[in-house]
Amino acid sequence: MISYKTKEDKEEEIFELLNPIVRDWFRQKFKTFSPPQKFAITEIHSRQNVLVSAPTGTGKTLCLFLSILNELIDSSQKGILQNKIYAVYTSPLKSLNSDISLNLKGPLEEMEKIARKKFGIRISVRTGDTTTAERQKMLKTPPHILITTPESLSILLASPKFKDHLKNVDFGIIDEVHSLAENKRGTQLSLAFERLQYLSLGMARIGASATIEPLEEIAKFVAGSKRDCKIINTPLIKQLDLKVLSPSSDLIEEPFGLMHQKMYELLDGLIQKHKTTLIFTNTRSATERVVHHLKDKFPKNYTENIGAHHGSLSKEHRLDIEKRMRDGKMKCVVSSTSLELGLDIGYIDLVILLGSPKSVARFVQRIGRSCHQLNATIKGRVIVLDRDDLIECSVMAKNALENKIDKIHIPKNSLDVLAQEIYGMANQQIWEEKELFKLIKNSYCYEDLSKKDFDDVLSYLDGSYTSLEDRHVYAKIWRNEGKIGKKGKLSRVIYMTNIGTIPDETAVTVKIGERKIGYIEEAFLERLKRNDLFVLGGQVYQFLFARGMVAQVQASPGRPPTVPAWFSEMLPLSFDLANDIGKFRRLIEQKFENKKSKDEMIDFISEYLYTNRQTSTAIYNYMKEQYDYCKHIPNDKKILIEQFKDERGNKKIIFHTMFGRRVNDCLSRAVAFAISRLEHKDVEIGINDNGFYISSSKPINALRALQALKSKELRKILEQAIEKTEIFRRRFRHCATRSLMILRQYKGRKKRVGRQQVSSMILMSALKRISDDFSILKEAKREVLEDLMDVDHTIDILKNIEDGKIELKAIFTEIPSPFSFNLILQAHLDVLKIEDKIEFLKRMHSQVLAKISLNK
Amino acid sequence: MMEIHKDIEIVDLFLHLKRFNSLVIGDVHIGYEEALNKQGILIPRFQFKDTLKRFEKAVKGKKFDSIILLGDVKHEFGTISETEWRNTLQFIDTLSEYTKKIYLIKGNHDKVLEPIAEKRNLEVVDNVKLDDIFLLHGHIIPEENEDYKKAKIIIIGHEHPAISITDNLKTETYKCFIKGKFKGKILIVVPSFNLVTQGTDISKEDLLSPFLDQNLDNFEVFIVEDKIYNFGKIKNLRGK
Repeated sequence: MISYKTKEDKEEEIFELLNPIVRDWFRQKFKTFSPPQKFAITEIHSRQNVLVSAPTGTGKTLCLFLSILNELIDSSQKGILQNKIYAVYTSPLKSLNSDISLNLKGPLEEMEKIARKKFGIRISVRTGDTTTAERQKMLKTPPHILITTPESLSILLASPKFKDHLKNVDFGIIDEVHSLAENKRGTQLSLAFERLQYLSLGMARIGASATIEPLEEIAKFVAGSKRDCKIINTPLIKQLDLKVLSPSSDLIEEPFGLMHQKMYELLDGLIQKHKTTLIFTNTRSATERVVHHLKDKFPKNYTENIGAHHGSLSKEHRLDIEKRMRDGKMKCVVSSTSLELGLDIGYIDLVILLGSPKSVARFVQRIGRSCHQLNATIKGRVIVLDRDDLIECSVMAKNALENKIDKIHIPKNSLDVLAQEIYGMANQQIWEEKELFKLIKNSYCYEDLSKKDFDDVLSYLDGSYTSLEDRHVYAKIWRNEGKIGKKGKLSRVIYMTNIGTIPDETAVTVKIGERKIGYIEEAFLERLKRNDLFVLGGQVYQFLFARGMVAQVQASPGRPPTVPAWFSEMLPLSFDLANDIGKFRRLIEQKFENKKSKDEMIDFISEYLYTNRQTSTAIYNYMKEQYDYCKHIPNDKKILIEQFKDERGNKKIIFHTMFGRRVNDCLSRAVAFAISRLEHKDVEIGINDNGFYISSSKPINALRALQALKSKELRKILEQAIEKTEIFRRRFRHCATRSLMILRQYKGRKKRVGRQQVSSMILMSALKRISDDFSILKEAKREVLEDLMDVDHTIDILKNIEDGKIELKAIFTEIPSPFSFNLILQAHLDVLKIEDKIEFLKRMHSQVLAKISLNK
Repeated sequence: MMEIHKDIEIVDLFLHLKRFNSLVIGDVHIGYEEALNKQGILIPRFQFKDTLKRFEKAVKGKKFDSIILLGDVKHEFGTISETEWRNTLQFIDTLSEYTKKIYLIKGNHDKVLEPIAEKRNLEVVDNVKLDDIFLLHGHIIPEENEDYKKAKIIIIGHEHPAISITDNLKTETYKCFIKGKFKGKILIVVPSFNLVTQGTDISKEDLLSPFLDQNLDNFEVFIVEDKIYNFGKIKNLRGK
């Protein structure tokens, strides 16, 4: 049963539980318990499973650990402290692990001073960086509190000697749940925790998360699908001072160069008015760019006091920046996601977000990094550069102020992670298949796992998809009389060196001779032909040739690029937030229809979105332009379909579907697939958060194509539609490496990403010959449709169209409507391939023949 | 079938030298999948079966005076596994059903080809000369060789030529023959008979063979799929 704890405990009650030394120490150090502490400490003390959802800076570490430290100290005092691991703590970040270790050792030392003796309590960090000597030491004398990562925990569970230390653990802690639950690292951890629980039946589980939704699902993720869990939800109680700012009052007419200049002036102005500013960008490269431009434009203001912090930078660099932040030596730090989590970074009085963070949860998480103290005001500024962003971020700020958090998606039934973990389990011990299946289904991520999928994964692992004579090459486990076990001498080494769910980076280095220019994605390289011109870091380059993971180019300044810019897997707008934007648009459209005056509407916007008059006016003007142009504002209950001819005479059909990119990814591909199947030709599609377009040289009836889509058939159509896309190929590689069908590291050698991709294409065609439903192929489809895209919500949208709850409106325009501009400019391109390889060749051949005869 | 040059015909992925009734086969790389397996990539094996099937389909009912293998019959550099050994022999036996004379040209992957050749009484050679045609693997230029000096037509493998075709929306890669000139001689490059991979994309990748260390704009491209497609000069395939 999942339940909410709604009443906090009385302070005296909490103090009563504590050992006098702990009590005295706490009283000296703090006046009172923080809100989450008031709820959680007694629950953890009595070994209940709990999920604590609280913003950072609310005494979370002690909230999780006070009861545990108390028990350890109490045992130590009584002389009954055992030589065993009492608590296992996991977090996604190694640096966070070091922080936690320090934050526990500090209080312990202080309490030892009060007690005037040593407690002998051991705390150790175990990650991929831990030295062999330290490992040996831990094996001999286990720590009382083990601090680790999801991957290291999985490895420890498979370790023949260390696993004995994991047989009697009292507390299992998952920190930063919000950053784990929505990806496959979380899936892996959920299985690792089931493995741990199997060894330590009585273990209580404690999850800690930043503000997140849906809490009940997250609670099941932490506790496992059928266990009890108490949810402790203490939302933000600080004052929020939020503003959406734009560098110019006119986001449409201002030339790019000037806007750029004004944006940096705005940034500098804000930074100079505060003591320490933390800036978040959405990509790592943007992080570097901002640091570079601030230094360049204001050399007097920024010298050693500014720096970048993101995952591609070296550990030393990051640690140095963190230290200087804590020492108060930084004026400004620019980060992408690495500083979102609870690292200790000292005093921050302003957080600036450059561009929309795309979800309310991430927004709250980022701005929450300012003012790391209880009961102070959080100060956040969002800087937007276009009008869609302006509306998006204003609605986001509204939701943040009203504490309306969007829901995350938790991947379910990931067969690749399952294969990896079963392999790990086989390395741990011999299992009854039945018992194994039961254990796996205890995990929330696999509660609906079918017996067939489980069996398919086992027959992948035992190699029975290959011929008998070759099987010894492919089998990773043995299966006999309902039991399974590990196979091969290298088994454990393979598991240890290939574990993990985060795919290798796919960056291709771009060089002029030996000089490094930057990086492009591998998929982008695939599209380049010799002599193509493309943009990188604001400069135009001509592509010469590629060798492995290096692309050779030469500078071609001033020439127009021949290949459109490539947008990698950007953060998608959350579905819930997209709906709220759609709702806001609908309210505005109604007011236009009811002929409300300009003043009335601006007042309404200011009241609804908490925006100032200038911002409200800008939003009003944008809406008015759209409404005046075509009398429609697409919204959550109205899809606008707009057709026009572009400059090349191609027909473009724009679908204004305000549902976020994950849904638009599905809708666009399904519609394009329907059209291309009718016409038998490849169709170009462009997608962003607010809609999508379809482009074709022939006339097409797009409205009919959308109407013809049936919610019941959607999934099947999409499975076919994605099969030939770049993204499916890439995700297949990720799944193949997670399933250990492609080993990233084998016999001491590491494989490059390019090599992995080439191999994975060969692998894919071979597996298709075995079965289209081969577990890894199936998983790659599931991952693309459910995790990357959002097939479930798309089905809901189609049902709403079928039931008439969402209206379709088709219009023809000469030039695209105002809402179409950004979509056409910034859409993420893809092509739906329908022609097969030979048909395509025939068409291209006749084109070339025609060209040759013209030249003669 | 299509003539790539006078009296030289493309038959599927092979060349037929009509004057000599000789069949030329590019790099086969037997054991390619097995090599991937050894690197920890667990690709199920289809290559060898597919190779025999494709060969027999292309030459069904024909007999040749000779069959010339342009080198790299097997994939692995230094070692030879049992499967590779068995498959290579089986492949040679299949070829023998269509000819009495097999030339095994030594490639850069063929360091240990001799034991296999001996087993079937075959000779491993560096090159083959048929009148004015000179055939070799193509990883080095035999500047001093008299036959080479006199030859008018050079036929090589080694490069595994393939080409990507794009309409700016999508890109596909195909195996192809290419024909051009090298120092006044006609140069024909035969695609690989390795069915697991397409080969090297000559329109973008850096090339290996010293014969192809030149501007390829005027080389002609012949793509092999369900039939042969003459795409004309490479420069015609560049953007519009």
